[in-house]
Amino acid sequence: MQAINAIEIRNLSKNFGEKQAVVGLNMSVPMGAIYGFIGENGSGKSTTEKMICGLLRPSGGQIKLFGKDYTDADVRAKIGVLIESPGCFPNCTVWENMMLQAANLSVPNAEREVVEALKTVRMEGAASNKYKNCSLGMKQRIGIAMALLGNPNLLVLDEPINGLDADGMRIMREVLTEITKTRACTVLVSSHILGELEKIATHYGIIRGGRMLREMTAAELEADCRTYIALQAKEQQRAKALLSCRYARVEEDEKGYIRVYDAKKPEELVTYLYENGVLISEIKTDKIGLEEYYIDLMNGKEGR
Amino acid sequence: MKTVIDNKTQLSFQSPTFSERLKGMLGVDFYRLFHTPLYYIFLGIAAIIPAMLIAMTGMTGPNGEPSAPLFTNVWQAIAAATPIYGFEGIEKYANMNMVFIFGGIMVSIFIGHDYKSGYVKQLFTTHAKKQDYMISKTISCAFAMACMCGTYLLGAIVAGAITQTDFSVNFGNLVCAIVGKTVMSLGWASLYTFLNIIFRKYFGVSIASSFFFGTGILIIGIGSLVGNTPILNVFLYGASVYACLGSNIVTIVVCMLTSAAWTVIYNVLGTAILYKSDVY
Repeated sequence: MQAINAIEIRNLSKNFGEKQAVVGLNMSVPMGAIYGFIGENGSGKSTTEKMICGLLRPSGGQIKLFGKDYTDADVRAKIGVLIESPGCFPNCTVWENMMLQAANLSVPNAEREVVEALKTVRMEGAASNKYKNCSLGMKQRIGIAMALLGNPNLLVLDEPINGLDADGMRIMREVLTEITKTRACTVLVSSHILGELEKIATHYGIIRGGRMLREMTAAELEADCRTYIALQAKEQQRAKALLSCRYARVEEDEKGYIRVYDAKKPEELVTYLYENGVLISEIKTDKIGLEEYYIDLMNGKEGR
Repeated sequence: MKTVIDNKTQLSFQSPTFSERLKGMLGVDFYRLFHTPLYYIFLGIAAIIPAMLIAMTGMTGPNGEPSAPLFTNVWQAIAAATPIYGFEGIEKYANMNMVFIFGGIMVSIFIGHDYKSGYVKQLFTTHAKKQDYMISKTISCAFAMACMCGTYLLGAIVAGAITQTDFSVNFGNLVCAIVGKTVMSLGWASLYTFLNIIFRKYFGVSIASSFFFGTGILIIGIGSLVGNTPILNVFLYGASVYACLGSNIVTIVVCMLTSAAWTVIYNVLGTAILYKSDVY
């Protein structure tokens, strides 16, 4: 059987007048993945997602969903979407909004599916609430519940965790993980909150200036995010100078730790500095996260 | 419980048929229509307009002298005695055709809310096709305007009864006129849906454009230039005017043809615009 990706994008571009929002973008999202789509504001994330969803017309390139053209009605029936915020009617209840979307999708057994979707997002108790009275976190979860109607095989979520409190983010994380496990669903999710994304994503795509900067799996990111040794010394500047003479990559972070990326063991640093008369007050081994990796990549510091 | 899919899993796709899609979309549009106060407000406005026009008939001047009556017969508030495409006074202009002006504003608000609430992005990201949207909006808004024609008629009758205005009329001609004008709702609804598709990003402009075209001012202008010619029946306003108190079965056929033709034209054009441009 031929391997196909849930999303396969080749040479995608989108121009708004003179402005190029997306330029020759390539992207592959394997089936079953939670694909973290990362990029700064205005990098082309939302534009790309809107093109995948059929809301914007590409200026060039090709989008294939499950091996078929993205405009194919059969394929579109299998997509659930939450772009920015859910398109709900504020004066209708959560239940009414869900049922209206179910009607739009011609969902058979609509009531059962709506109940199931609301349960999945932990919103079964809020069905009778008016949409306008729901909190931001609830609204985002309603949006995901709506996206789940019709049993989609692909969910496209644009910034679903923006503005959520810690508990809201935790619920959202659990929901997204559960969806991929129980609903045979691929998830494309963009977010600025990289710490949260890191906890759930299996694949990443980093976009900048409308171009895909890097695509990688979580395992590749793990390998790229190498460990480092962080230390604080009594004479910080002297310690840094000494370490810089011996190691290729030495940096001081915002918390005042000196980071040494290419040392093998903390002991060798302790010994080396002690022999040079510098006493260490604290030393630990740590690993850079997605956020730091992303910032480094944006700043052109690759290959840690 | 389903298993997590991998990139070799065979997925089967099946989208709903056209009738299933349209049924679902119409269901949503009618549900919204019946659950929005806007619809009932406009039904009320449609009833009040003829009532006010007829009530003015019995008004007196500042010194108690009777004013010149606008209408001497209730049914003049429904349609003019003969089709007059140009402007020959308010009494020949102010009739059931005004429903299409207020109907246009209602349609603009109704469709504008689709964009304001983000409902369209929810809709167009699914299997929904652009022509489904055009058809569904046209049908639901045509229904709303047809209902407004109904309340307009009711308002005229009630006001006529209260003011004891003359009700004499050739009933057959009157029915043909009312049916003709009601049939025109479909064409007008398609025009307003089309205008709202063009100006979907500019809510105010879409309302203004609906009002502008709804007044029939373009056809009135042409009518003033070329005279009272039946050629103008090929336009929505022309056919609406043609449904006068002298109507017969031919009038209904003309209205049906004009309305249907423009519905097809505007639906095709609207669908093409939606396909060729960014939706949201």
